Parts: sequence; C-alpha cells; structure tokens
Amino acid sequence: MGGPVLFGIRHLSPGAAYHLRQALDEARPRLVLVEGPDDLNEQMQWLCHPETRFPAAIMAYTRTPPVRTILYPLAAYSPEIQAILWAHEHGAECRFMDLPSSVFLALQAAAEERAIAEMEAMEDEEEAPEELEEPEEPSATTESIYHRLETLTGEDHDTFWERTFEQLEDSGEYQAACNAFGAQLREAARDNIARTAENLVREAYMKRNIRDAVNGGIPEEKIFCVCGAFHVRGLETCQPMSDDEMKSLPRLDSTATLMPYSYFRLSSRSGYGAGNRAPGYFELLWDAMNGKGIGETAYLYLTRLAAAHRKAGNLVSSAEVIEAVRLAEVLRTMRGSRYPTLQDLRDAAVTTMGHGQFSELSLAAADTEIGKKIGLLPEGVSRTSVQEDFYRQLKVLRLEKFRAPELQRLDLDLREKLDVKSRDAALGDLRRSFFLHRLRVLNIQFARLLPSRQTGANWGEYWELRWTPEAEIEIVESSLLGDTIEGAAAFALRERAEASTSIAQAAAIFSDAFLCGMPEAAKHALSVLQGLSVDAAALAEVAATAEQLSLVVRYGGLRRFDAAPVVPLLEQLYLRSCLTLEDACICDAKAAPAVTQAIDRLNALQLNHDFLDQDMWLKLLERVSDRDDLNTLCSGFAMAVLLERGAVDEELLAREVSRRLSPGVPADLGAGWFEGLAGKNRYALITRLSLWRHLDEYLRGLDEENFRRALVFLRRAFAEFSPGEKNDIAENLGEIWGVNARQAAEVLMNDLTEAEQEVLSGLDEFDFDDI
Amino acid sequence: MPEKNVQRLPAEELYQRELDALISAEADPVPTGWRMSPKSVLTYLTGNETVRGVEITPKYMGSRRLVEIAIATLVTDRALLLIGEPGTAKSWLSEHLSAAVNGDSTKVVQGTAGTTEEQIRYSWNYAMLIARGPCPEAMVKSPVYRAMETGSIARVEEISRCASEVQDALISILSEKRLSVPELGLEVPAQKGFSVIATANTRDKGVNDMSAALKRRFNIVVLPTPSDMATEMEIVSTRVAQLSAGLDLNARQPDGDVVEKVVTIFRELRSGATLDGKQKLKATSGVLSAAEAISLLANSMALAGSFGDGRVSDEDLAAALQGAVVKDEDKDKLTWKEYLENVMKKRGSAWLPLYRACRELNG
Repeated sequence: MGGPVLFGIRHLSPGAAYHLRQALDEARPRLVLVEGPDDLNEQMQWLCHPETRFPAAIMAYTRTPPVRTILYPLAAYSPEIQAILWAHEHGAECRFMDLPSSVFLALQAAAEERAIAEMEAMEDEEEAPEELEEPEEPSATTESIYHRLETLTGEDHDTFWERTFEQLEDSGEYQAACNAFGAQLREAARDNIARTAENLVREAYMKRNIRDAVNGGIPEEKIFCVCGAFHVRGLETCQPMSDDEMKSLPRLDSTATLMPYSYFRLSSRSGYGAGNRAPGYFELLWDAMNGKGIGETAYLYLTRLAAAHRKAGNLVSSAEVIEAVRLAEVLRTMRGSRYPTLQDLRDAAVTTMGHGQFSELSLAAADTEIGKKIGLLPEGVSRTSVQEDFYRQLKVLRLEKFRAPELQRLDLDLREKLDVKSRDAALGDLRRSFFLHRLRVLNIQFARLLPSRQTGANWGEYWELRWTPEAEIEIVESSLLGDTIEGAAAFALRERAEASTSIAQAAAIFSDAFLCGMPEAAKHALSVLQGLSVDAAALAEVAATAEQLSLVVRYGGLRRFDAAPVVPLLEQLYLRSCLTLEDACICDAKAAPAVTQAIDRLNALQLNHDFLDQDMWLKLLERVSDRDDLNTLCSGFAMAVLLERGAVDEELLAREVSRRLSPGVPADLGAGWFEGLAGKNRYALITRLSLWRHLDEYLRGLDEENFRRALVFLRRAFAEFSPGEKNDIAENLGEIWGVNARQAAEVLMNDLTEAEQEVLSGLDEFDFDDI
Repeated sequence: MPEKNVQRLPAEELYQRELDALISAEADPVPTGWRMSPKSVLTYLTGNETVRGVEITPKYMGSRRLVEIAIATLVTDRALLLIGEPGTAKSWLSEHLSAAVNGDSTKVVQGTAGTTEEQIRYSWNYAMLIARGPCPEAMVKSPVYRAMETGSIARVEEISRCASEVQDALISILSEKRLSVPELGLEVPAQKGFSVIATANTRDKGVNDMSAALKRRFNIVVLPTPSDMATEMEIVSTRVAQLSAGLDLNARQPDGDVVEKVVTIFRELRSGATLDGKQKLKATSGVLSAAEAISLLANSMALAGSFGDGRVSDEDLAAALQGAVVKDEDKDKLTWKEYLENVMKKRGSAWLPLYRACRELNG
C-alpha cells in the first residue's frame, strides 16, 4: 500500500527496541523520523557519540522563572535510541518529528493554569451546595482504562504489558499487537478535551513533518516513523498542520540540553505510559533478547539476584535458585504466558530464597531490578536548568561579584528592612540566606557559613564565598536531583530525611529545611522525625530535639516560617518526655546530669509555650521530688525547679530538707540531693537560713568516712557557685555558727592548706564501691 | 452423610457441592494425584464465580497472588510452609487447599510440644505386635505415611511447636520422598502427588526454631494481616455475626461504627502508624489480630447481654480494649496512654465518650 512505515512503540520497552531494529533492517529506510521535539535535532549527534553512556535524558526548560521543564529519559533499550543508533550506523538520515520543546512547555504552562482555574471553580461550587449536581458519568481516560485492566488481570500494568507484549517473539506479531492496542486504547479512552486536543495537535504536526520529508524528495516507503503506539492510528488518518495553525502555536522561550541520567531516577518516575520501575531488569531483558533469547532472562535475573543477596551477607544455595526457576515456571503457566515475568520471578525468589518475606531480599532486588547505573555524556554538552537557575539567582540576589576566585565575606541581616521601597528588597538578605543555605544542603562548595559572632543575636548570618571550577561540576551533578536549585535541595533533603536513623539527624535536617526556607521539605523532615521519635530514644535526646523545635516555633517568624505544623509534634515530644521522665530518674550518678539537663530543658519548654500542659508538669515534678527510690540528684533538681516556679511552700521545703538530710541517710544520697537542689536558682536557697542550718546539722552528724563521701558531692555542688554567692553563704554560716561573717568568709575563701589539698586529691580516687 | 450435630465439619464435606461443580466443569490438565487443575483450586479458594450454577464462595479474602504461589508450590512437589501472625487464616487456607486438591483435609498431624517422631512416621498397635510380631497389620500409619502411600497431601499444624527431632524426621521424608520401615524390611516410596503443608506461627519464633535444613525443603509463604480497613471490617463483622448466632449472646450486633472503632484502633496499634500514615505510633506487645478483634467484640456483647441493656456501650468496649491492649503491664500502659492522648483525643466528638472511658480505666 506504500506510504511511510509507522512503527508503534511503548517508550522504554526493550521488546519494542528489539523488534524495531529488525523492522528497520527489513525496511532499509533512507529517513528515520522519531517522536521527540524537532528543535533538538542538533543534540542527536551527541546521543551517537562514542563516549556517551546511557541512561541520558533530553531536557528542555524555560529561560525565565517559573522554571518549567520537560524531560525525555532514554535508556540503551529505548526504541527511540535504537532507531537513532540504527540510522547512525547505516548512514540513514534521522530527525525528530514532534512539536518543538518550546511549544510543549507553553502547552504545559497552559495546562497548569487551566488546572488552577478548575480548582478555583470547584471551590466556588462548594460554596453553593444548594444546587443539585448531576452525577457525572465517569469518563474513561487512558489512566482509568489502565486501572480497569489492572483489576481485570489482577496484575499491575507493567506486568500485564510484559506478559502480553514484551514476550512476543515474532516482529510482525509484535507490531500488529502493539498497533492494535494503541488503536483500541485510542477508541476506548475519552480523555479530557485538553489532552485529546494536545494529541491531535501533535499528530498534525508530526504529519506535517512527514509530508515535508516527502516533499523533500524522499519516497514515502523509504520513510520510517517511530512513535507511540497510541499515535499510529492518528498519524494514519489526520491532516498535516497548515501554515496558519503552525503560526498560532504558543511558544515559550526555552533551551534544550542533554543530561546524564540514572537508573535510580528513571525507576522513580511513575506513571503508566512510560512506567519503568525496573530499568536494571529491562536491561537484562534487552541483553537476553540480543543474546540467547528472551527465555534467558529468568536465569540471568535469578542468578544475579542470588549473587547480590550473597554479597549482602546472606546464604543462598544453588538449589534454592533452581527451585525459584521451577516455581516461576509454574506461576507463569497459571497466568498463561510464555515466559515468567518480573513479578513471577520476584515472587518465586521471595518464596524460595527470602523465606516468604520480600524485605529480606529488598536490597538485592533493588540492586538487580534498578541498579546503580549512571549515564555519561561528553564534556561540555550539558547546560542544565539547574546551572541556568544558579546564574539567574546570583543575578537576582546581586551575588554576582562573589563569583570570583578570591575569598570574600558577606554579612547578612535577616530582619525586614523598613526603609526600602519594595518588599523584595526588604527581605533581600533573607532571600540570600535561603539561597546560600540551599547550596550548602546540595554540597556545592561556594559559600561557607561562619559561626555566629554575637550570642543570642539570631538575625545575623556571616558567610565566606569563593568560586571554584569544582562548584560548577557540583551544580551539574545536582541536576540529577531536580530542575532548579530549590527543587534539587528539596530532593536532597528528602533523601537525607528518609535515610536518617535518629531523631537528632532528622532534627538537623528539619532545621536545614527551615534555614533553606522550604516549608514542604521541613514538613517532610518533621514527619520523619515524628516517626523516629516513637522508637527513640533517650529522654535527653527527645528533650534536646524538643528544644530545637521550640526555637523554630518561637523565632520562625524571622525567617517567615509558619511554625504551626511543628506544634503538634512538640506536644507529642513533650508528652513522651513527661511519660518517661520518672523512669529515667532511676539511674546512676553518671547518667543523672543528663536527666537534670533534660528536666531543665523541659521546664523551659513548658514556660515558653502555653499549649503545653502545666498541671501535668508540676505534678510530675512533685512526684519526682517526692519519691525516695529515684536518683537523689534528680529529686533534688525537681525540687529546685518547683521552688523556682513558686510551687513549693516553706513548710514543704523545710520538711523535705529535714527528711533528705536526716541523720542516717547515706552521705552520697543526702549530699547528692543537695547538689540537685543547688543546681538551679541559688539565690532562693541562699536566702533561706533554715536550709543551711539543716545542712550544717546534717554534716555534723556524719562520721569521718561518710563525711568524706559527702564532701565529694558537695564540692561538686559548690564548684559552680560564684564568689559572690559563696560570700553570701559564708554570711549565713557565720550567723549559724555565731561568728562574724567576715571570719567565716576568710575560712571559707582562703586557699587550702597543703594538708587539706592532699586529703582532697585523695578524694579524687575515692572508691564509691556500689555507686 | 454429614451428621447434623457435629460441631464442625471438614471443608470437603461443608463445600462438597462447590467441589463437585468445579470437578465436573474441569477444562485444564489435572496434575497426577490431584482432583482438579491448579486453576480450579484457585477458583475454589478465591471464589466470586459461578460454576455450573453453583456459586463458589470466597474462602480466603486476601491477596490472590499468595494463593497462586501456594498452589504453584504444590504443583512443583515442594512442601509448603504457611507462616503468619496468629489469626491470619493459616490453618484455614491449609485445610481448604488439601480439600480442593485431594478432597481430603483430614490427614493432619497437630504439632505440640508432646508430638513424637512416631506421629510423623508410624507406630505400633502393641497388643497385636506382642501377639503376632511385626507385621503390616500391627502397624499404625501416621497421616504422613498414608499421604505418601496415596500420593496426597499431609498437613502438619504448628510445626514450630514440635521438638527439633520431630522436625528432623520430616527432612528425610521431604528430601528422599521415601520412608523406611526396618522392622518389616519395607521401603515405602511416596506416590506422585504427595506433599506436605505445614503452618507455623511467627509469635512462636524461638520456641523451636526450624533448622535451616528443614526450611530449605519448604517454599515459604507469609500470610499477612488483612491489607485494608474494608477487608478487615468485613471479616470481623461477618465472623462476629456467625459466632454470636451460635452462642445465644442476647445482645444486639455491635453497630458499624463500634466495629470500625475497634478495627481502627487495632490496625493503628498493630502497624504502628495512624491510618492516614501521617503519624507513627508505638506498637504494643500483644497480638492484635483480626481474630482478637472478633473475640473482643463477642466478649463485649456477652458483657452487654448478660449484665447490660444488650447494647455494647463505650464502657464495655473500653474494658475489653484495656484487656486486649495492655498485656505487658507498664510498657503497654504507657503506649496506650500515649495513643489515647495523641490520637484518640484528637479524633473529635464521636470518639470522645470512648476516650473518656478508656482514660478512666487506664489511669
């Protein structure tokens, strides 16, 4: 019948790539047209460059913010790549034929605007609930048809596709099946108008390209078109786009480039159309097709999986691998396919090697199915949107002069400046801070944060900046993470958050996100933090984290950060600390200071935030202070906190002092309690004469051995007191002993005699037997 | 003929009509020793189909894929080991699998700490042994022995409760597929179709851990707890209705929202996260399976029917929940308290009475 060959494919399908090459060998076309933006034709040479390693991606992006990008990931088994390579090897001409990327980006922008408008319209409708709405017939979109296929077959779409199409061995059969599927899908799917329209526009444009090629003097049958199976029927029937229609296409100012890509990123791009959750496996499939045949895949996959599992430190016997192959064979017959699919293979492996648990095999499976492959492009080819974004931000934030090899200082004042005209300028330094923190998160060695110079002044930030060629490379590398500096930083933070194992790590990531001014990333880190806090952790760690969050709640405003999402977590951490505090107080002398520190932090937390339950806290402290079976340092400290908050009356204090410091109480317990009590709010202690009288009586009552013990604790307790405070104590003691305050002070403040010194140093090695 | 007063009939008698219909409609090849093709076994277990006018009820509500793997294992003549939390339908699935494959689910060895090797292999009728000496008539064949002779499936329940020498006895049977009787100079080869389905409880881990050698002879399928809220609610409410009908509890069926609350609490504490996945929680030490939820509800119904007004009140529920959740005194109590404060309190007015009742009890 003549006419150009239209070969329907599924993107990223090894089967399609394999059969496509055979079809090309047969057709021997002079021109190969490939679905892809036709303004990227000059990039094609780089795809055929001997240094190029796949996966790679074609990226197009707008030059002006908001940055929009489109990405066409390409693996070695992409049919498009194989078509291009075939043309290159056989000296045939090869061109892209789809709409230029500038038009795609414009269409994408329009679609987004439409979506926003629809959302707004929906919200308006919600305000008027009186109107009865006709229940809309759920229209069959491409997605919903995929969904229905999934419910019908009981398998996910990738498996369905692999079973039904990927395993066809005859090229003609494959092409027919693929085209039929595309055509039927086209018929059954009633996508929304916008999407259908976009497809029609694309097809008309492709058709025009084909016509132009024919007009250029290439016979129709020598033209070979590679396009999505969905478009085959469209291309057969539609009319080429007219000149007027061409002119009316929207366009955005844009650039296109190639960039190295990774299998990991490829696998994380979801979506049915180009679903490719297992690039590593697809490569195996591709290798098998070009090697001994598709039947080889099961052996390749299972042996590789077993090897990876062994490498991870597990035992896998060959017998188990053999059993897995056999089980996979039975599973595929139950589904009626010619070869086991990835799903069959994986299920068989889990059953025989993984003891029924996928989690046991997950590392090996990720290694085999996804793999760590990263593409490579010849130097200087990439000019990615992240680079572009970086330079644009430098300009906007007036940081360009820092892009120089010498080291320069930059001091930022994060407060809003009230004496400037525009809001942008008022917050200029804050924006710079966000930007520099984002670079820091991305490990781009351009700016270094210096420690704050003034304690307590949280609005000042000091940086050192220096430009190096390495920084440029680091920026290109970060294009694997996202399209803009902000997007890449968000991705990096997300990855780090998911990998974090302690709440301290997660809290650090949260504060990074906070410093970067990225509320979404902060929210995610927060949820990770919440998850980890459940299994965590020592009281001290929880309290320290809560304190960090508290800072954000109190000072988040300075960085224009909405701290509301932090509050529930803060409440949870507070509640958890309160619930575990009593138990934590059962500890030895070494651990006690960490507990008192935590009590102090929690107390400050409660004082700073009204929403934290005060009654619960005071009752808890009373219990800690009251109980005899806890570490006395903690009990004493709890009493000190209560005292400071005015929650203890004189009577209770007197009672506690005489109870804790009564004769017969072992010296380390009594003095330990006093040390705790003296840990806070000393002024209140110094003014209470009765307390010192009690202490005095207590010490007098101790025998030599116990006195030495008590001395160790008391020396530690008083070490923290200032000379002024010590003077006041001397005054108290003078009064108790009936001597002149100055005399008492002299005795107390004098340097120690040598003999005393010796006794004290002897105490350093004091043996506390059972403490 | 099935008798009327039997408390519980074996699966093959209870579902005889369905099995017969499937056998008569068979279109696919049937493996040696089987009564129907693997596909028909699958249909029997997953149900929701009508074959020759007989409606096939679903026996296992859960992942169809797991059932497929289980059946495929039996086709490859490997032994099958079903592992799962208590109350995840392990024995149920094992019974129905053997009922469908052989029409006989009664060749069972119940694993206990007192199970001996003889119960896996064979023992003797001692009176006859003394009277006539070792002879085939004096031999008492174990279910496994009989399964080997007839080429059918033997079931071993709770295998991890058996002592290790008993487990070891299975190893040679599963690898050699023969059993020797030295007393009679006999060597019994297993007929085609012989296989073993064993079940084991994950909570019994460490009681009698299975040896690597034995594990290697099994294909292991882990049965999960119900995958989503709707499935679990359906399982719980159907079973509660069936149970209470048989027990004359004098109480009304608990309302849908009562079941929902219990299932919600169980699912959240079991998985260690709220249903929306936004908040992680501490999990409790006890087993909170669907089976536990069923008995909890039946229990509150008994309380309400015998001492209350026949309606399951929040107080009844709180008491039952306290008992189910707080097993290991201190730790669970704190966990439960945290759950009450962090999650239940914030659920709004529908949950408030239950929250109050629970808080009261938990102290």
